[in-house]
Amino acid sequence: MARTITFMQAINEAMAEEMRRDPSVFVLGEDVRVAAFGQTAGLVKEFGPERVINTIIAENAITGVAAGAAMFGFRPVLELMFCDFAMLAMDELCNQIAQFRYVSGGQYPCPVTVRMATGAGFRMAYGHSQSLQSQLIQAPGLVLVETSTPADAKGLLKSAIRSNDPVIFFEHKKLLLGGVSGEVPDGDYTVPFGEAAIRKPGKDVTVVALGFMVYEALQAAGELAAEGIDIEVIDPRTIVPLDKAMIFKSVEKTGRLVTVEEGRIRGGIGAEIAALAVGEYFDLLDAPVVRVAAPMVPIPGSPVLEDMYIPNSKSIVKAVKRVLERG
Amino acid sequence: MALTDETLLGAYKKMLMTRTLESKHKQLLAEGKIQLMGHFGRGQEAVSTGITAPLRKEDILFGTHRGVGEYIGKGMDPKDIWCEYMGKRTGLSKGKGTLHLTDKKLNIPFVVSSLGADWSMAVGAGLAIKMKKTDQVVLYSVGEGTCNQADAHPAMVMAALWKVPVVFAVCTNQFCEMAYMSEHFPTPDVAPRAAGYGIPYEIVDGQDIETTYEATVRGLESARSGKGPYLIEYKTFRMELHFTGDPGGYVRQEDLDEWGKRDPIDIAQKKLFDRGVLTPEKDERLRADIAQEADAAIKAAFDAPFPTEEDLFTDVCETKGVF
Repeated sequence: MARTITFMQAINEAMAEEMRRDPSVFVLGEDVRVAAFGQTAGLVKEFGPERVINTIIAENAITGVAAGAAMFGFRPVLELMFCDFAMLAMDELCNQIAQFRYVSGGQYPCPVTVRMATGAGFRMAYGHSQSLQSQLIQAPGLVLVETSTPADAKGLLKSAIRSNDPVIFFEHKKLLLGGVSGEVPDGDYTVPFGEAAIRKPGKDVTVVALGFMVYEALQAAGELAAEGIDIEVIDPRTIVPLDKAMIFKSVEKTGRLVTVEEGRIRGGIGAEIAALAVGEYFDLLDAPVVRVAAPMVPIPGSPVLEDMYIPNSKSIVKAVKRVLERG
Repeated sequence: MALTDETLLGAYKKMLMTRTLESKHKQLLAEGKIQLMGHFGRGQEAVSTGITAPLRKEDILFGTHRGVGEYIGKGMDPKDIWCEYMGKRTGLSKGKGTLHLTDKKLNIPFVVSSLGADWSMAVGAGLAIKMKKTDQVVLYSVGEGTCNQADAHPAMVMAALWKVPVVFAVCTNQFCEMAYMSEHFPTPDVAPRAAGYGIPYEIVDGQDIETTYEATVRGLESARSGKGPYLIEYKTFRMELHFTGDPGGYVRQEDLDEWGKRDPIDIAQKKLFDRGVLTPEKDERLRADIAQEADAAIKAAFDAPFPTEEDLFTDVCETKGVF
């Protein structure tokens, strides 16, 4: 019988189950013993301080530590707290960890999982709120995971820990702290990389939404349904590898594509998906692709301004209508 | 305690091979026969050999791009080095790393490009050893210039905090890329920084192979016995420019003259003559054999096949569909 758990529990269970299953898995990061947000709660009690390692405050260096341990037989799960802080670790993430395997001709795979919280809405201003997924999409060798349900989060995090590739795992704060819950399968299971999920089937417009934006898209779907507009909401679940086939199949049906992300618009994930659609199946599109994303401004501290900054169901409704009006 | 005749001779051969390979590299570049830039370590061979020759095969080496000394020292095959250098398919990294040498069977992870990115990796490798409870040691080879890299600080903090078996081997060759060390350091020595982290350290002459070798053995024994990290600073002089594209003009002739009087290979040769281990005739034969082995390695690399277009896309990821 399936259980209902929160997104936070899903992350926690994935790590605990993998640590039970494989002694080479360990967790490290700043304050992981206390569990600043809660994902690592209880792990030190069960697995001891040797496998739940509090690190110093030095993001680039602790990422290098994870890399070193991964090269010599371990599967570290590193928590970098906020994706904003991952910018301090960009050399290790993008220049080193991502490219180890290739530059060593396959001699040194680097099975590190790097978890980081993403997203705005908690009035934490510019440096604790960003969604910087697109900063990491350029590094060859990295797998990028971001999903929206507890079942997928658990299954994908287990896949990440078992993967021999380095995986960046984004956890939206609204999913972690907003008490989002859902059913998860019993027992051990994984969710494979590169398989998107249709969260709501529809025939008029394809909406590809990342992470928490899936919920905004579903809300938009409800509002649009009242006006007789039927959108299809796709959660890619992994940004790299991207399930191009599913997006293609959906656009083949709808002829219209909207991308939704909380990250900023310039050079965003939506730009990549839009370029893919235009480059590979231009003929299927009945209208130009529309991107919903954050504007090119820092995240303001004022609640009023922050709410204006974050894309939401209203911006999605507007984008869907725009894509329907054109072409 | 002096090195045994056998150990001294073995180290001497490695120093000779290092210098021979690097001078051939320089010559081939000058002749326009290869494209790979060189960062040569002539004059530093007692350090590169002295820090790596005492390592066991299972010990882990994080080396630098300063020539081939550290790799020859740990036992890398000159043919493997050159196949990789030339970007050949038969290279250890299939030609994808070139001067970022990697040899998994010798526990040598690849040489990083962003200087100092490996400070923390060395600590992570040390953490892995500690968790596996083996008696391996990590030897982290680094130049003094890279000791100013930001990660030096947290790496030494964590190494000391977690008592991981890492020997930090600082090769002070008086230059930080294209400037004298005095432009990068407010102090004459680097090693005393270790005291701030509670890491034991020593500063030794880097020209005499017996001194460098024995200092390394002390560091390795300390780290292997579970006492945590150890730092050694070896004082030497880089007789070559930073790399083959270095415009030069900043090295004082009197320094070259002064340090040239204490060439590490000459010092080792004299010891071997004094001990009667080598004679001038035997030495000449030995050098000819090494030159021949180096030539054969380089020729094999020239003759080896290049990678194919297919190879461009292998080894990126195990995960499918990432392109």
